[in-house]
Amino acid sequence: MSAKKEPKVPITPPEKWVDLYGDYLYGFAMSRLRNPDAAADCVQDTFLAGIKALERFDGSRDIKFWLRGIMRNKIVDQIRKSIKENKVDIEAEDEALLESFWFKYSGIATTNPDPWQFNPRKYYDNGEFWVVFEKCIAQVKDPAREAFVLRVLEDQSTEEVCKAMDITPNYLWVLLHRAREQLKVSLEANWTGKDAK
Amino acid sequence: MLTCKQVSNALSKEDYEKLPPLRRFFLNLHVKLCVFCGKFNRQVIESQDMCRCYKEHEETLSDHRPKMDSAKKDQLRDLLASQAREN
Repeated sequence: MSAKKEPKVPITPPEKWVDLYGDYLYGFAMSRLRNPDAAADCVQDTFLAGIKALERFDGSRDIKFWLRGIMRNKIVDQIRKSIKENKVDIEAEDEALLESFWFKYSGIATTNPDPWQFNPRKYYDNGEFWVVFEKCIAQVKDPAREAFVLRVLEDQSTEEVCKAMDITPNYLWVLLHRAREQLKVSLEANWTGKDAK
Repeated sequence: MLTCKQVSNALSKEDYEKLPPLRRFFLNLHVKLCVFCGKFNRQVIESQDMCRCYKEHEETLSDHRPKMDSAKKDQLRDLLASQAREN
């Protein structure tokens, strides 16, 4: 008979989760969802799912990160729900891009994208840069932002994102291009100003 | 040698850093030399690199993120206490 393994980290009782992890998880959800109500729902769903799954928690890592792992699925569910409510329509500009010679021939939007006005790599070790970066992600317009969050930040596969958004892989590529473009413009506006100070 | 379309397809499906080393080598070679897709796909790789770094730094950002409002917290506390009792 095998004895039950002792968890490596102490398990915080669910009654304390709101005080200990509420703000952390809410902030994380806000960075992906941008909507305070959706983020609060996400935290609630995460805690409820956590209570149900607590018996399966092996204590190999901090419960905060275990809850965050659960929250990733809830975030994807919330985005899926929001996409279902607001179906993704292809904008005329994007449709033209999908039909363009360069896109069909080589899968690119342009042969000559605008170069960066600064070298972002220089600031990767600067914590403030990532604060600005996160604010800039929130400024990207939907559905490009949703595509970006699912595909890039939440590491969903192309197939999963296309299924959730009901779009083709080519259109997903265009949306990701739009997100990158907006993120770059926003970073140049928000960071170069700070940098110059 | 890869075609422009193959390079774009590979980058759309997978993060550059997650590609097998040999594929990464040929992809990089193409991006460095190609006058058509080089500039565009170089920016795609740089963007993937930036997002990877952002995810690595995410833990340090929680102090700058918005906090949950106290009314919602009270509501959640009650809900969790009742759920925990039921379990």
